[in-house]
Amino acid sequence: MQHRRGALLVALALALSGVFATVVPQPAQALTTEKATARPNEDGGDGVIGGMDTRLTWEGTVEPGEEVTSVTLTLPEGSTFEGSTTRITALEGLKRMDVTGEAVPSGSSITVSFDQAIPEGSLLRLEITNMQFPSAGGECTVTGTYEAAGATHELAPSDPISTIANTPLQSMVNWLDEQPWVEAWNSNQFLGMFLKPQLLLTSFASLAPGWLLCLGIVVAAYPFAIAIGLVFAMLKISRWRVVRAVAVTYINVLRGTPLFLQIYIMFFGLPMLNINIDNNLLGIIVVAINSSAYLAEIFRAGIQSIPQGQYEAASSLGMNYVQTMLTVILPQTVRRVIPTVTSDFITAFKDTSLLSSVGVMELMMFSKNLTTVTGNITPYVAAGIFYLIVTLPLIKVVSVIEENIARSERGAGPRPKRRAQIADNADELVGQAAKKDGVAAEVSAVAAPTASLAPASAKEVATDVC
Amino acid sequence: MSAKLRHRAPAIEVPPALPADEAARIAYEADQGLTSHAFTPGEHPIVRIEHLNKSFDETLVLKDVNLNVWPGEVVVVLGPSGSGKSTMLRCINLLERPSAGHILIEDEEITNKSTAEVNRLRRDVGMVFQQFNLFPHLTAKENVMIGQTKVLRRSREEAEAEALKQLAAVGLADRADFKPAQLSGGQQQRVAIARAVAMHPNVLLFDEPTSALDPELVRGVLDVMRDLAENSGMTMIVVTHEMGFARDVADRVVFMEEGVVVEQGRPEKVFDHPENARTAEFLGSIK
Amino acid sequence: MSSMNRRSFVKVAGAAGAAALLAGCSGNGTQEPADDTQSDDATGEADYTLVKEGVLTNVAELGFSPFEYIDDEGNTVGFDVDLSNALAEKMGLTCEWLPNQAFDTLVPTIKQGGKADISIAGVTITDERLEDVDFTDPYLNSNQALIVAASSGYATDDLDAADVQIACQTGTTGDAWIQENLPNATRVPLADVTAGMMGVSTGSYQAMVIDLPVAQNMLAQSFSDLTILEEIPTGEQYGIAVSYDNPGLKDALNEALAAVEADGTMDELKQKWFGTTDI
Repeated sequence: MQHRRGALLVALALALSGVFATVVPQPAQALTTEKATARPNEDGGDGVIGGMDTRLTWEGTVEPGEEVTSVTLTLPEGSTFEGSTTRITALEGLKRMDVTGEAVPSGSSITVSFDQAIPEGSLLRLEITNMQFPSAGGECTVTGTYEAAGATHELAPSDPISTIANTPLQSMVNWLDEQPWVEAWNSNQFLGMFLKPQLLLTSFASLAPGWLLCLGIVVAAYPFAIAIGLVFAMLKISRWRVVRAVAVTYINVLRGTPLFLQIYIMFFGLPMLNINIDNNLLGIIVVAINSSAYLAEIFRAGIQSIPQGQYEAASSLGMNYVQTMLTVILPQTVRRVIPTVTSDFITAFKDTSLLSSVGVMELMMFSKNLTTVTGNITPYVAAGIFYLIVTLPLIKVVSVIEENIARSERGAGPRPKRRAQIADNADELVGQAAKKDGVAAEVSAVAAPTASLAPASAKEVATDVC
Repeated sequence: MSAKLRHRAPAIEVPPALPADEAARIAYEADQGLTSHAFTPGEHPIVRIEHLNKSFDETLVLKDVNLNVWPGEVVVVLGPSGSGKSTMLRCINLLERPSAGHILIEDEEITNKSTAEVNRLRRDVGMVFQQFNLFPHLTAKENVMIGQTKVLRRSREEAEAEALKQLAAVGLADRADFKPAQLSGGQQQRVAIARAVAMHPNVLLFDEPTSALDPELVRGVLDVMRDLAENSGMTMIVVTHEMGFARDVADRVVFMEEGVVVEQGRPEKVFDHPENARTAEFLGSIK
Repeated sequence: MSSMNRRSFVKVAGAAGAAALLAGCSGNGTQEPADDTQSDDATGEADYTLVKEGVLTNVAELGFSPFEYIDDEGNTVGFDVDLSNALAEKMGLTCEWLPNQAFDTLVPTIKQGGKADISIAGVTITDERLEDVDFTDPYLNSNQALIVAASSGYATDDLDAADVQIACQTGTTGDAWIQENLPNATRVPLADVTAGMMGVSTGSYQAMVIDLPVAQNMLAQSFSDLTILEEIPTGEQYGIAVSYDNPGLKDALNEALAAVEADGTMDELKQKWFGTTDI
């Protein structure tokens, strides 16, 4: 049914061309210009920059009863076809015909003569690679001539192609192009493939929006992840079996399946249920839900790492469960889990890269596109640097906090306003007390259990009995 | 917490709790010679323990314990490790649920209470733990304030004034803004005592308060407890190994072994003329 | 009925994703060694290097039915698979397929060398790609297709708008076509063709551009709710990507291609996979 649809459309367009105001009626011609487009050549962007290699694609249709033997395309002054290659495609409908020919550039024109005349009804496509538009940029209309039956005719001008002058970034790239050290650098296969200076520069510029989106997604998702995680942590230590089962199922299913799968299910599953949400919002939701499961475990482990004695002390003051949790247990848990939570934040931030698989325009998506266009690995390295800008300071933060907690639990925390005499053996005493407490906590299944989560109290019940 | 520890042990049959007046009369008769505490006729015991049994899994750790504690009395419980003395203490504020028997505080049965009622009862029963159990994220002052503000609903100002007063009483006025980790063990235990006292409980329980301390820090804590016993009129039940404290401060010494109250009486009587061979052996060995 | 199809297709796609094994060319089942004299001939004259001796190692994106995909039994099958087997036979070699790789990594893999000898994976010969790798003579003509949901009522011009998301496979000619011809639309390059079709089906994306034979095949097999809005006549040609460092291999492949054309094998395979030789 779809067969020859393209040709039909072409015919339809021609038949109706007079009807549409946007289409300027053309005098009867043997070769009708269909379109002219140029491939974007802005590194990491979608502009067509003048003075740099790009590819011009021109299409025209040979009218019934005509045959075309050569075509000359002309661009505004300043364009050049020197050093270009031309690919000739002639189609009858979708069927490709064998056509060969020769392209001869001459300044801002190129003449393509065919070994066999292009027969009537054909779609002729010329793809001219490595040509350049004028460096000043501007609207470029393709004009030219063609030869049919030995006579030369004017081609109808194409719709203009928008080109731009060189951007500052591009100028810097061009400057780099000319530097001998850059050339030497790039001639090393490894350096040229992974750390090409020009690409590094353009990558930084064009990856920035993706990087910001990554950050935006994870920063927006995380407060929800913390809230949901806390709720499920409390459910998991509930005394009611059914409630625990719900929490365990939620946590285990999410932790036990790849984030990749969860992303797919959310992105393709929800629309099937007629729930249509913006992609970025969906990304936030997936990251929030996924992280909430890990955070629930972190919080659960953190809560359970608080010694039993703390509950007993609170109880002996007459506090109820809610008061105990809010004023005694959770404030201590928060301090203990900050390093692990930060680690999870780092993981979540990196995991946003998986969203590229469903078309969220995040960092990896941009770098993948750049790599595709350039065939070079450097954009990935640039992406790596972008990730590190966020993760390295956070990793540092984690270790500083861990150190502080370790120090304060050893009893040598920062002194309050006044300096005070403290028994020299205070450290040792607390250490001893901790040892007596020392039955290893159920070590959490959290990816990166920190030292601060490990020690927990034995049930003191046992002390007098045995 | 206590729910987790509940277990299915063979049910132990005990008689119902005695009526208050009858119990008070019997206790008055029985305890006359056992304590140096001065009675008022018609007074009721503040804590009554009748036929208390407690088992963990298959092990019976308290076997038919009976004990009365009178208002203002200082009772020191002695006994070897594993004798059940800490468990008995923890039953009194229901950190452990008794398996059978009765505990009455001011003639109110506490063993059959709902969680909310238990929380209310615990306000009136203070506890000092072996491991201090201070809240490490709060300063000394805040540790003493938190029960007052959250549970007793005292105003911040009121609670703070009380906290400073109690910290001064334990000699730590200048440590009010220190976190527990910045205090020595002895100082921490004194803060814990201040925390318990600030609630103005009817009964104060001490669970081996000096066992986790280095010898040179024990004295400071004992001095605070002695001061409390002698000057505040607080009812105290103290589980300890400190014989000197027991002899000097206690109104009554209770010796427990293998879950049973083996002997009780005035300190000079129990220390100098123990009736029971095991008591004598224990006191001899510990001296 | 259509949902049955989709389910079974999803299974296939899953298998393709999971296949981490070196897939031999099991499509043809038992394969006798090539005719002795011929293979001696071929290897005798052969002036090329192979990653693995006696084996033509192929790298492809294995979710591109009917060219190369993983069938229900987990075998790598398709037109390209049969063709490469036929070529290998002519060359006196056997042939192996590397595990699935994203399409946009195929040309760099061949360019860098060391992992695979060839990529026969529906790769269109373009001048840009020719800067990185060499191609054999073309073995098949192809076009592009613009796919939308059948119920959408879109016309092609409607799609050139910023709020329209158009899926494609990363690094394909369809990817480039969107950039150039629907510049205002939001292009969504994906690793996996099935993901794109699913997305159009569920409304995540409004359209997809992919090679016409693949579109026709997958719409017929699994996505009956999608339709081809426009067949885009590009007249592109698939070639086998070979490293410039291995010109002898390209020559040998061209020779084998000619032989496969000449003895009717090519028509046979086209008939088998496309139901017509006129492609």
